[in-house]
Amino acid sequence: MEHDTLGRLLPDGVDPREADELDATWRLLGAIDAPTPDAERMRARLDAVLDAVEQTHVPSRPHPLRGYVLQGLAAAAVLVIGIGIGWYAGSGGSASGGTRPTSETGSASEIAAMRGEMHDLREMVSLSLMQQQSASERIKGVTWTGQLDRPSGEIVSALLDGLMHDPNVNVRLATIDALERFASREDVRRGTIQAVQSQSSPLVQIALIDFMVKTNERESADTLRRLAMDPQVNDAVRARAAWGLQQLG
Amino acid sequence: MHAVRKGDVAKLGLLFERHHRPLFDFLARMTGNAAVAEDLVQDVFVRVLKYRATWRDEGRFETWLFRIARNARADYFRSRTLDEPIDEAAGHASHAPLAIDTLARDREVARLQRALMLLREDKRELIVLARYRGMKLEAIADLLGVEVGTVKVRMHRAVKDLRDIFLRLNERSSWNTTHSVGSFPTA
Repeated sequence: MEHDTLGRLLPDGVDPREADELDATWRLLGAIDAPTPDAERMRARLDAVLDAVEQTHVPSRPHPLRGYVLQGLAAAAVLVIGIGIGWYAGSGGSASGGTRPTSETGSASEIAAMRGEMHDLREMVSLSLMQQQSASERIKGVTWTGQLDRPSGEIVSALLDGLMHDPNVNVRLATIDALERFASREDVRRGTIQAVQSQSSPLVQIALIDFMVKTNERESADTLRRLAMDPQVNDAVRARAAWGLQQLG
Repeated sequence: MHAVRKGDVAKLGLLFERHHRPLFDFLARMTGNAAVAEDLVQDVFVRVLKYRATWRDEGRFETWLFRIARNARADYFRSRTLDEPIDEAAGHASHAPLAIDTLARDREVARLQRALMLLREDKRELIVLARYRGMKLEAIADLLGVEVGTVKVRMHRAVKDLRDIFLRLNERSSWNTTHSVGSFPTA
């Protein structure tokens, strides 16, 4: 082992007597035996997950051009609107003429309107990307939702729809991450609990079980219990469901 | 890992064969529970699969893997209290009768193991990474996101605290022995 003695790991200036005492403890640590894993069992569990992933993996057909065009248009629009906001804010509304109080009120409302438009545009790009044929574009769409301050119900519905119906495992996994910030919403809670039962991919089921644990979703306990006891369910999922139940206590 | 990232998930089996033992050793020594460590190793490889697209090959794979292992362990204990008994028998499978000096030594080692489990988690982690994983100071610094000098200072404190706990356990053990002998009626 690399560090059989402690000396080189200590900072300069440690009292030599103290260093010797600490080194004695360090050496004695070497007498603690290494715990041994049941490698065969661990490998079998991993293989079950890998089999399941390979069975459900749908290769994506990339169509990058449409996605790039959409993102390019969105970026250009955001830039134009941003410049507009900057121009109005900088001019203090003088561009619109009129007296100052009126123009300030007017420009403030126009800035708010432009911000609203930017927000709507981002939402539109996210939704459009999520409907692309290419899985990687759909993942980008899901990721874009993370940039939205207050996403509308339509975005949350699209994410839930992706989780339930997207044919690609990676997209469904991405939606789980994106839904985490909405974990307190009733429709998200119900949707994810429903998804964990209906998913065909063990990897997605495992990610959903992790989601339940992370968000402390106690209402999922019955579902997890059913999964843990169902002999038809993938071994790794059953083990994870049992673990999840234990975590939710 | 390149192949796994590109979608050849079957290659994860190779990564498992190469890395599951050091990961298990780290997690077992950190949790003190072999069964929990096995679950966490499984969790680590599921996360590798899940987050394979986030791996960047400019960093060391082992560091990335141990970063995932640290997160998996933290998530595991975040939602529960550490009330499971420490699996002290994990490294002591044999219960054959021992010679007295061997027995004394084994008790001392068991007390040190206990002291290690009583040590604060971040300090225990430093010791486990360096002493049992043989991780270089630079790699530990990279994993923890601190300077090498900081690792040295923290290592000093960690081993010092470990020794203090160990000595206290030794004192308590010898006091218990003396006290129980002394409490016998002498008349």
